[in-house]
Amino acid sequence: MKVRLFKEPELEKPVLICGWPGIGNIGLITVDTLRIRVSAEEFGEIESWDFFYPRKIKIEEGLLVDLEFPSNKFYFKNLLENDLIFFIGEEQPRGDQKAYRISESVLDVAINFGCQRIFTSGAAVAPIHHQMKPRVWAVPNKGYLIDEVRRYENTVLMSDIEGRGDQGYITGLNGLLIGMAKERGLEAICLMGEIPLYIPHSLPYPKASKSVLEVLTKILGIKIDLSRLEKWAQETEKRIEEFYQQIPTEMKERIERLIKTEEKPFTEEDRKRFVKEVEEFLKRSKEDGEVPL
Amino acid sequence: MERSPYEIYQIPNLQNPSLIVGWQTQDVGRLGSGVINFLNKKFGGEEVGRIKPVDFFSLGGVRIENDVARVPESKFFACKKNNLLLFKSDEPKDEWYRFLDSVLDVAQYSCKMKDLYTVNGNPSLIPHTWPRRILTVFNHPEFGRDVEKYGLLGMYYEGPPAMSSFLLWVAKRRNIPGASIWVDIPFYLAPLKDPLAQKKVLEFFNQKFNLKIDLRELDLEIRDQNEKIARLREKDSEINRYFNLLESGIGLDGEEQLKLAKQIYELLEKRG
Repeated sequence: MKVRLFKEPELEKPVLICGWPGIGNIGLITVDTLRIRVSAEEFGEIESWDFFYPRKIKIEEGLLVDLEFPSNKFYFKNLLENDLIFFIGEEQPRGDQKAYRISESVLDVAINFGCQRIFTSGAAVAPIHHQMKPRVWAVPNKGYLIDEVRRYENTVLMSDIEGRGDQGYITGLNGLLIGMAKERGLEAICLMGEIPLYIPHSLPYPKASKSVLEVLTKILGIKIDLSRLEKWAQETEKRIEEFYQQIPTEMKERIERLIKTEEKPFTEEDRKRFVKEVEEFLKRSKEDGEVPL
Repeated sequence: MERSPYEIYQIPNLQNPSLIVGWQTQDVGRLGSGVINFLNKKFGGEEVGRIKPVDFFSLGGVRIENDVARVPESKFFACKKNNLLLFKSDEPKDEWYRFLDSVLDVAQYSCKMKDLYTVNGNPSLIPHTWPRRILTVFNHPEFGRDVEKYGLLGMYYEGPPAMSSFLLWVAKRRNIPGASIWVDIPFYLAPLKDPLAQKKVLEFFNQKFNLKIDLRELDLEIRDQNEKIARLREKDSEINRYFNLLESGIGLDGEEQLKLAKQIYELLEKRG
């Protein structure tokens, strides 16, 4: 496994921002939108073949022209307030060891460029309605960052969330990276946008990415145009609304009650049970020939 | 300490051999394993090493095949007289790159291989009475030109890669030239042995390496298989109609394909 840097950009105490695919692709949309909006430049990659299976081959007149793997790329941008490094992976690696090794490589690059702060982004499946503005759940990797997080707008800590105490679990690289960053002395915060628990996980949910970006850009002290993301979020919401109207009344009433927090506390077990019910509903709809989304 | 993914029992006395690879997972027409078994039998191939299954295969239990428990195998054989290194293996489930890299580590560093061939069947909507095309994929243009001299046709393809193509790609990174050989196999022979396809590949190797292999036993198998199918055609008018359609270049629908495949399987595998 190798990290290949095509360039050695001059960066001053850069902030590293990482995104991977996941539930609602919230993290990936967040980080990729920011990367595009600030016009960050590609400067390196982690060779993928050790971590991922090839997904496409191109053969022309017998000659093996190309074998395509999911990409894992680094980008940079010099800004007035903060220099930025982005790491964007097209897939999360399968298996703990691979996840550990890829996180290690990302942190090597971060440390090599003098990075002191890392942000990862993902999804928080929550009992919210799709018409509500998603909040951002923030998990820092050091206790002293809690006070800073409390000052972020529209952001909650684990202890602020009903029924969770101050406990939780972040799956995948978003969690692992901030944990490993702690071991190596780097500050890191995972920002997770809320996604309604009845929305299929494969559906992109840009509305949550927008919430995360509003928080993240404020922390970074930069302004970006979010109108395209807003438009996408509105289009998605229309489709979700159509789907929502197809949900059986009884289930809808339960959702409404949950949102109005009449059924409290909403524990992890409740969430899993409810998600299962919604999944079964979606499966039945599919079998009946209706594919709502 | 990281353990080695392979074991070498003896360093074979080969002079820059060619490596021939046959996969026995999803082995269309049993071609990959069939060709390796044939060469091993003819040339007295000696087992010289293996890739260890741990890390690459699911080892939570064993698979039972033809009433016998079976663990995944990945074995190297040396045919000293003919200067060939053979590798017969199940396709790895995990860590493909590391597995393929290990195959080439053994072949390159311990056996000094010069080039690579993989043998594969390509399920096709053709009848067994038609001539078989041999298609090829290669990783160096010059090597491809050399292989094409033997009548192999360069393939066009874009989509998910096969293990053989991934191996060619890994070999290319090491500057090892290689080619995958893909022989058309009638779809109804895909789960069975296709002796004609095997003969075509062995004819190619005969020419390429001047092996002088006697292929008469395969001729007998081809004749026997053709006669059995011909008798079925005589007996069963519907099956005969399917073959007539295929021989006229007209495809069969899904249900017809399934029915034909089932009948041929019954005929050749169950009734022998």
